[in-house]
Amino acid sequence: MHAQLVSRIGQSILVLWAAFTLSFVLLQALPGDAVLIRFLGGDLGLSPEQIAELRVLYGADAPIWEQYIVSLSGFLTGNFGYSVISGTPVATEILTNLPPTLWLAGLSLAAAALLAITIALTANLTGFAPLKAALENLPSLMISVPVFWLGIVMIQMFSFQLGWVSVINPGPWEQLALPVIAIAVPIAAPLAQILLRNIEAVSRQPFVQVARAKGAAPAHVLVRHILGNALLPSLTIAGLLFGELIAGAVITETVFGLNGIGRLAERSVRFQDTAVLQAIVVISAFAFLLINLAVDLLYPLVDPRLRRDDVKGATA
Amino acid sequence: MTSQDTVFTKNFAAAGLAVLLATTIAGSAIATETPKVGGTLTYLEQQPHTVLYPPAGGFYPNGGILNQITDKLTYQNPETLAIEPWIAESWEINADHTQFTFKIRPGVTFSDGTPLDAAAVAANFDAFGKGKGERKFPVSEVVNNYERSEVIDPLTVRFHFKKPSAGFLQGTSVIGSGLVSLSTLNRNFDELGDATLVIGSGPFVATKQVTGKELTLKARTDYNWAPKLLAHQGRPYLDEIRYVIVPEDGVRIGALLSGQADFVRQIQAYDEPQVTARGYQIYAPSTRGINNSVVFRPDNALVADKAVRQALLHATDTQEIVKTLFSDSYPVAKSIIASTALGFKDISAKLTHDPKKAAELLDQAGWKLDADGLRRKDGKLLELTAYESPPQPQNKATLQLISQQWGKVGVKFNVLAGDAGSRVQDSLDPQKTPVAPAMVGRADPDVIKSQYHYANRNVLLQTGGVSTKVESFRDETLNGLLEGIAAEVDPAKRLKLVEEVQNYVIDQAYAIPIFEEPQAFGGAPYLKGIRFEAVGRPSFYSAWLDR
Repeated sequence: MHAQLVSRIGQSILVLWAAFTLSFVLLQALPGDAVLIRFLGGDLGLSPEQIAELRVLYGADAPIWEQYIVSLSGFLTGNFGYSVISGTPVATEILTNLPPTLWLAGLSLAAAALLAITIALTANLTGFAPLKAALENLPSLMISVPVFWLGIVMIQMFSFQLGWVSVINPGPWEQLALPVIAIAVPIAAPLAQILLRNIEAVSRQPFVQVARAKGAAPAHVLVRHILGNALLPSLTIAGLLFGELIAGAVITETVFGLNGIGRLAERSVRFQDTAVLQAIVVISAFAFLLINLAVDLLYPLVDPRLRRDDVKGATA
Repeated sequence: MTSQDTVFTKNFAAAGLAVLLATTIAGSAIATETPKVGGTLTYLEQQPHTVLYPPAGGFYPNGGILNQITDKLTYQNPETLAIEPWIAESWEINADHTQFTFKIRPGVTFSDGTPLDAAAVAANFDAFGKGKGERKFPVSEVVNNYERSEVIDPLTVRFHFKKPSAGFLQGTSVIGSGLVSLSTLNRNFDELGDATLVIGSGPFVATKQVTGKELTLKARTDYNWAPKLLAHQGRPYLDEIRYVIVPEDGVRIGALLSGQADFVRQIQAYDEPQVTARGYQIYAPSTRGINNSVVFRPDNALVADKAVRQALLHATDTQEIVKTLFSDSYPVAKSIIASTALGFKDISAKLTHDPKKAAELLDQAGWKLDADGLRRKDGKLLELTAYESPPQPQNKATLQLISQQWGKVGVKFNVLAGDAGSRVQDSLDPQKTPVAPAMVGRADPDVIKSQYHYANRNVLLQTGGVSTKVESFRDETLNGLLEGIAAEVDPAKRLKLVEEVQNYVIDQAYAIPIFEEPQAFGGAPYLKGIRFEAVGRPSFYSAWLDR
């Protein structure tokens, strides 16, 4: 167990380093750089000599390996530098923008899971066939709804027409309500689809028939016997949906005017703000690692077959 | 001190008359309403501000903030464009415009309590005029030929220039010359994205910033140094301004119309009707500089021939562009500079839409129409390319419409979007971008030099400028005229040069001016007293909420 943990940490460090290095190389390969974009972009009207001078000050023309070592050692010592575009320390940018995105992503995922389970259970428990059919088709509709469209429609309805929530001056929960729904709807769709399909597959298994034969009520069979087995593939998908959550965050954060990592990433890509982008890439890689670890740890809890019988092995 | 008095009186007399007119007209409306003090104004901006080093104030989101938190040495009257006293009570300029002496108004303080005196003004212009390498401060575009400052007494400062610098006096009034405290000048360029670190003497102070999302400005109740000629003196009427970044056009307008915001920037022409239909107001102050145009890079062989450029100028239907894509807020260009700019000359007779003439010119130049409807010369296709410029209103649509119009005379014109890096890099290469969109706002003829001279923005891409990709193109006649504008101290002769340059640029068909670019804002009906500086940035000093 100990050795496994050490190798897992070692792997993670390797992944983080690879993410950093790869993103560094890719960003270098792009035409132009942040200093060029910032100072030649138009609003300053600088002369060629002045631009050359600034490039030297920013070390923008230093050899690539030198820039790599400077930025890597900066990362290792916790000095992330400044954003050339916004004129704030990268650390501040991350600290202001990460928590709102974590809240948004976390709540959206929770809402999506709740929505998916509700759809799956209702579809299976209802005796009313048209409702079952409608619920089974709902995920296809939900996945086709573009996030930005749903966001704008909800803002128009609930904020501008009905005045239920403010988008310009909202409270901390008020500002999350609509964006969470906007992201949760398309995220819930694949979860619900997989859950529906698995529930159907698991219900054909012999042990379910046994449970039914023993006279268990349908709801009891569904929740106690089927759901646990059907959840496993959905859990794997939930881990993979992280990427989509971030993509959804870019759009919702822009539509709703929220600050967050998504919008920060979009702006940094646009202006090739390398220092910020590198920080975002490393943080995202870290988040992926954490989520995969969490999913791996959750499997045995959901599925007893995956539990390693360490105790028994030790005593034998 | 007589020469000081003369200059001062001359400026004052010209300005005074205009102000008198302006106040009598405006006075009748204002007299009936007493401004209400207090309240918070919610202002929606499309993009977050960047570094708030004053010379970077040209970027509109930056200018909208700097105009509230900093004051300038002089005040350019937005109606008359005359230069009036502000932080400088008076000034003296020597005969060849190489020495400018300013008397500073006593009792002005920065929001950190330090005095705004001669030493502070000197430190500001030393930074703007020479840059500050160790702080990464770039040189200000509006302060040319700067040599040094000299503090004569605590309230008198003199600036020395290496060459005559006629534009400097106006340069002290622009958004990029906002005065900041010594503590701000001692920070690094990269830190100044935090508005709360930018300490000015303006009527508002930045108190809280969530980078990329919002910014709060609070009124300075001890503010008592507005430009003397303004009717409003003393503290600003508002208590607070909240800047909120809302990138989505529809959300900004919806928020305005549903009462969640009071003032918004960047209303697209096609959205104007839904704002005015509800009794809300569109403000479209002119940027008074170089019109929204497309320019040619004659270093590229395809557009090196004047006849080809003239043909494309006559193939362009600016009326159609403005009618199709814009509104009354966007007047059709009558020259390379706006009709509200100093020295404007109506040369619209040279800018006619004439596709027949265009075709003739191209035929004569040897570009023959092929069976596929495109023009070729020695087997080479007449195919041009430009990148869209995202900050300009509907620039992509504008270029695409031009592409259709040029297509009618057989010229292929590609419009690229592209990432910022490729755009900036390719825009420096005349082979890749023989055509480019261009515009810049500033209410002084120096702006023309700034735009076209090889050592400045160099939009035509001449040799000796920012681009290393240019092989041979250089127009010394143009450069000579432009340098003349920057150096000429006699205002009448200077305006004559401005007229000559306008004619020259169009006669050479270096640029196709399209429309006079405004900054479009929307405001709630209960919002009163909004003013704009000479280049269209809002001032909230006299704004108040009637509700």
